[in-house]
Amino acid sequence: MKIFLIGAGQVGTTIVEALHEEHELTVLDNEMTRLQAISGRFDVATFEGDGTSRKDLAAAGVASADLIIACTSRDEVNLVAGMFARSETAGATTVIRTSNVEYVELWRGGQLDVDFVVSSELETAYAISRIIGVPAARQTDVFADGEVQVGEFDAEEGASPDVIGVPLRDATIPADSKVAAIIRDTETVLPGGDDVIRIGDRIVVIGSPTAAKTWSSLLWPEGGAVRDVVIFGAGRVGSAIARVLLDQGIRVRMVEASREQARRAAESLPEARVFNATGFDPDFLERERIGQSQAGIFAMRDDAKNQYAASIAQVHGIPFTIAIAHEAMSVAAFEQAGIDVSVNPRAVTAEEIVRFAHDPRMQQVAMLEGNRYEVLDVTTRESSRYIGMAFRDMPVHGSLIGAIVRNGHALFPHGDDVLQAGDRVIIFTEAANAPWVVEAL
Amino acid sequence: MSQSVARIGPPRRLAIDVPAAVNLIGTLGKFLGIAALFPVPFALWYGEPVWAFLAAGAITSGFGLLLERLTASSRGGVGLREGFLVVALTWLLAAGFAALPYVLSQNPQLGSPIDAYFEGMSGFTTTGASVASNLTDINRSLGIWRQFTQWLGGMGIIVLAIAVLPRLRVGGRQLMESELPGPEISQLSERIRSTARKLWFLYVGLTALQVLLLASVGWAGLDDEMTPYQALANSFSTMPTGGFSTLPRSAEGFSPISQWILALFMAIAGANFALMYLGIVRRRPRALMRDEEFRLYVALVLVASAALTAMLWGHGIAEGEEAVRAAVFQTVSIMTTTGLASADFALWPTVLLLALFALMFVGGSAGSTGGSIKVVRHLLLGKTLRREIDQTLSPEVVLPIRLNGAPVDERTVRAISAFVLLYVGAWVVGASIIAVDSAITGSGLGTLDALATSATALGNIGPAFGPAGPMGSFAGLGDVSKLTMIGLMWVGRLEIVPVIVLVTRHYWRL
Repeated sequence: MKIFLIGAGQVGTTIVEALHEEHELTVLDNEMTRLQAISGRFDVATFEGDGTSRKDLAAAGVASADLIIACTSRDEVNLVAGMFARSETAGATTVIRTSNVEYVELWRGGQLDVDFVVSSELETAYAISRIIGVPAARQTDVFADGEVQVGEFDAEEGASPDVIGVPLRDATIPADSKVAAIIRDTETVLPGGDDVIRIGDRIVVIGSPTAAKTWSSLLWPEGGAVRDVVIFGAGRVGSAIARVLLDQGIRVRMVEASREQARRAAESLPEARVFNATGFDPDFLERERIGQSQAGIFAMRDDAKNQYAASIAQVHGIPFTIAIAHEAMSVAAFEQAGIDVSVNPRAVTAEEIVRFAHDPRMQQVAMLEGNRYEVLDVTTRESSRYIGMAFRDMPVHGSLIGAIVRNGHALFPHGDDVLQAGDRVIIFTEAANAPWVVEAL
Repeated sequence: MSQSVARIGPPRRLAIDVPAAVNLIGTLGKFLGIAALFPVPFALWYGEPVWAFLAAGAITSGFGLLLERLTASSRGGVGLREGFLVVALTWLLAAGFAALPYVLSQNPQLGSPIDAYFEGMSGFTTTGASVASNLTDINRSLGIWRQFTQWLGGMGIIVLAIAVLPRLRVGGRQLMESELPGPEISQLSERIRSTARKLWFLYVGLTALQVLLLASVGWAGLDDEMTPYQALANSFSTMPTGGFSTLPRSAEGFSPISQWILALFMAIAGANFALMYLGIVRRRPRALMRDEEFRLYVALVLVASAALTAMLWGHGIAEGEEAVRAAVFQTVSIMTTTGLASADFALWPTVLLLALFALMFVGGSAGSTGGSIKVVRHLLLGKTLRREIDQTLSPEVVLPIRLNGAPVDERTVRAISAFVLLYVGAWVVGASIIAVDSAITGSGLGTLDALATSATALGNIGPAFGPAGPMGSFAGLGDVSKLTMIGLMWVGRLEIVPVIVLVTRHYWRL
């Protein structure tokens, strides 16, 4: 597939990283240095030009593209580029990134002439709401309209002996779930019945949302369901997170240092309780019993502040911390600092955009462990040689079927179950194997 | 150098364009005089003297024309600043205009200048407080003039002028808003001219409906007292939440069904006209039903009526339907600041008087014809107080005040607190003057009566307690008290602030 990418920033680079092997990419940006950085790492065509210039887009060859992705950090550029690209190419799919939830609503209402609108803020908010639902998970993704959940967990001290230290065939694995991978140091095991989860392992679980919650409480018994969170930072990201969490009936308090920003958040989120204060003021934190919150979400603009505020919040007793990492580097730094989960909005956005680049049979994809693994959602073809084959007989090949969706319902297959044509398969695989897996199904 | 000095000119002292303001007042006065023609057909029909009305109209229009001519050279427009002066002076002028027929006809009860001006101000401000102790003395044409002044004042003289006059030199919304009761009229956000027209359209329509209903009751033989004349006179008293009656016993003599109709239309007059326009004319009743102020308004009417019913029944004053009717009628009448009465509540026990006294400070809705503090201000003030208490515990919490889900501007919130303080201040000052004056002149007002008299004038309600009760009059008050009440009615109708700014230094001086 020919993919035309406008914007070579963090999101663009992540997309290129995920797609450059399978597809033919052209990247357009107005900064030569960014293009050089990309072309130095990946084999893609680059073009220096203006995304809002129809002439530049035409010169870069937008007309021959099958998929056009506008993912600069500026909404207006993405909108204009998306519109132009639309009129230049007849059949191509256009995807634009936006940081304004209003554009997403416009698009849902059919008012924007593009195929997909992806909002960093909303995707981040969804990612966080999934994490809140499964607090022990480092990362979770949902598939098949929320029927299947994939979670990445750390097995830490205090985890239940029901699943730790016993061979998987003897462990009390929650119903409707499957351990897709055990990651130990740098080595990954696609586990069989003899394998054992040990403290310090990282595991990937595929299962029903209920099973994911059970896993969460097995691995982190004192975690519990989160009913009460405090969000630091009431900007666009913080407000989007608050909106999503409030809609799930979670009590939200927000702490915002800017008076104006706090006022706006309080006006647009009547159900949230907004404070105009910094997250570093010990008197304030003490007086409002911020430490009593079950989870702290750090969504300020500045990663350093997020990290510092998260540390202070931990000192004040918040048991579970989620921080927004705007810089890719911060993910590792946050982990080092003892923050439970980090979410990089650009990575989340890129992940959401990348799924449009896959095979049309592919509904959704999730990337785990810095893109080393992918979870794919693929519909099987009639001609696949695995149709009619029992799961126990399938080859392993560094990938594993975690769930199938048949007639709109998720099944978590056992060895005797048989794959049928038209099944949607949720499959965990090494990223390098992904094209082969899609091909085979 | 001398040239530039010439260009700079002499120093200017005034911060407002007085000639422009006077010019507009002149224009308004010129047209206002036409209103004096309204009672003429009544006078002719009943064979009563006509000349007093014609003279009053001629004097008013002539005076307006004179003001207009004298300031014809003024170039400036009427802006925010001039608007306050225009509104304040127009209402003083209008009260004088209303008084002219009483003076010119040398009416034995209303003929003295202070009494006539009192009655005129009471009419135009829709107060309905009267210094006439024997209403049978007032002939039918003068009586209908007295009712008609209320009806003109109800929706506002300037609002009417904007609606019907060709191109007034009115710059902004401010001029109209300083006359319309209540803090905001955002529901019909269009050009002020079309807003004014819609409000008057609905006002005229509702009045016509009420006249028709009341007259039908009379025609159907259900109420002997309800002649077509009474139907018109009482509708002119109800829709503007006025309160003047042409009968000595107010609404007491009407049959129950007439009283219920009056109560219903008083309640309607106390609701927001802009919202009613949306609800009735545009058929969007949800806009009305979902309005927080309207809901509180209805709730207050129901709760107060129930409480009064219980008290009336409990004290054995009335029972059954009569108790309910008396409670609803008096509640609605006092709360909406109308001031009609179906019973002489001045004779009720003190606890009932206190209940009515409290209702005097409620008022109608914003954008209604009612006066007093208004339901929306109580609502927002309550929310502000709740926020203050919340913020005592959590100083950092940010809590926007919301009305119907939308955040209310902080300046509006502050203005409402300021208004309520000013209102209470004006009431206390007025009550003190009246109490001292009545002690000096021996007019027989007790402390509660004096407090109620000040409240009833400031809230544009009408009756007070004691000798100034619904079946009595303010005739026995001293001139100082009457002048105080005139001032309170004026200040209350314009909602204090447009008048207060006139006495600040920075209004006049640069």
